[in-house]
Amino acid sequence: MEGLRVKNQKTCDLCGDNQAELKVRQVDKDGKATEIEVCAECARRRGFAEVGKIQLDIAQIVAEMKDKVVDEDAKLVCDVCKMTFADFKRQGRAGCAHCFVAFDDKLEPLVRRVQGAAQHVGRAIRSGRKDAQLEMSVERLDAELKSAIQAENYEKAAGLRDQLSRARTEQEEKDTGVD
Amino acid sequence: MPTLSFPPGSGWPNLDGLPFPGRATEDEQVRVVCVTRDALTRSGCLNRGSLLGNDELSESRTRLLLERHLVSLDFVESKQLRAFYVTKDETLSLMVNEEDHLRFQALVSGLDFPTAYESVSVFDDELEGELAYAFSPKYGFLTACPTNLGTGMRASVLAHLPALVLTKEIEKVLRGAVHIGLMVRGLYGEGSQTKGNLFQISNQRTLGQSESEIIETVIDIARQVIEYERKAREYLVKNFRVETEDKTFRSLALLRSARILSSDEAINLLATVRLGVALGSINEVSLEQVSRLLVLVRPANLQALLGEDLGPSQRDERRATFVRESLVHE
Repeated sequence: MEGLRVKNQKTCDLCGDNQAELKVRQVDKDGKATEIEVCAECARRRGFAEVGKIQLDIAQIVAEMKDKVVDEDAKLVCDVCKMTFADFKRQGRAGCAHCFVAFDDKLEPLVRRVQGAAQHVGRAIRSGRKDAQLEMSVERLDAELKSAIQAENYEKAAGLRDQLSRARTEQEEKDTGVD
Repeated sequence: MPTLSFPPGSGWPNLDGLPFPGRATEDEQVRVVCVTRDALTRSGCLNRGSLLGNDELSESRTRLLLERHLVSLDFVESKQLRAFYVTKDETLSLMVNEEDHLRFQALVSGLDFPTAYESVSVFDDELEGELAYAFSPKYGFLTACPTNLGTGMRASVLAHLPALVLTKEIEKVLRGAVHIGLMVRGLYGEGSQTKGNLFQISNQRTLGQSESEIIETVIDIARQVIEYERKAREYLVKNFRVETEDKTFRSLALLRSARILSSDEAINLLATVRLGVALGSINEVSLEQVSRLLVLVRPANLQALLGEDLGPSQRDERRATFVRESLVHE
């Protein structure tokens, strides 16, 4: 494999513009063979068949990059519903509200592509019944705290921890009927 | 106005803290239904309408609702534990556990979206007092599918465009609407199939624009499309009056004499008659009659009307009879 690797910056023998990627053997009518190194575009244009790819590096790099992205996507998990970002991409559906927090960075460009924007400008919810909101808040704060810790965002985590303990206290008071 | 307006402002909020229906366990699905039922009870909504639980949502019942444009095909085919609320006058409804936890829907009369939006908002607010919605300041209302994020609102106009179809101008008009970012699809039939010259025009994007901006765009485009239809009708009347009348009266005659009518054929014929009525050439039938029939000739509705379980060919016979009787000469 090493032997096929060509030194960097070898330009195409035909156009002289692009980097050479393929080695092509040409046989003329006398049976004499010559080898030239051409870029993918010239090869395609001239209809050359592939003999052997020179720059295995590129193919390898791309494959490795793809694997890395897939791995990264599979590792990005929503703590509430356990969906991975890989799942999300495959299904095109989020699993729960917290997914939008857990996947925020990767989600934004996707949303922008689909919607042409990534910032809501319509109406917002008004604060609803306090105890219904409260119950949900504890669950959500807990999940967000875990995400923050995982992301090593300790400042955010500290703030969330405080919010969470306040919310838990409020809930306990409510449960025991303290006003 | 050549429009019948239908599924309009829909809001798709999900409840906070629970997985979306596609990923929820049975218990979680039940919880969503219970929480919603409680909210509907406490807000007094059950006095103004009824809630159907999953057990009451049989195949035939949901198909009936589908044909009346009250639920979506996804809802009919869903394997989740669903519920459905609708007000007595059927202008406001709520699907529970379709693709999202909650999906509101209001009927719009004419192009009066503001009123419909107002009634959905009021309904929405009443329930929000009892429920916690999944919402983020960045992405707005959080929905399972990113295509519904933000306002979560789909404003649709149902337009009857027979003249544009007849004059073969429909493609241009539809492409124009798509160009501006609207979705257009035939009301009946799957995919791009259009039956009965009925088209649904709605906004494609839901995020990045306010509710009123979206409604404004849809209304503006709908008005333009209606104008094109009007011009096309004028053109037909001016240059092809007899041919158009011939076509519409023949359709009426067929409906009055056929012994076998399939759902598709009935819809197409009724749509042509509707054109005749709208153009003023057919006076013996009203627009309301035709609209009513367009719903009642569909399979589930027809069966419900006749009160019997029928096979397809029996249905086709009975449909023909029903239509004949409905269109009797005065």
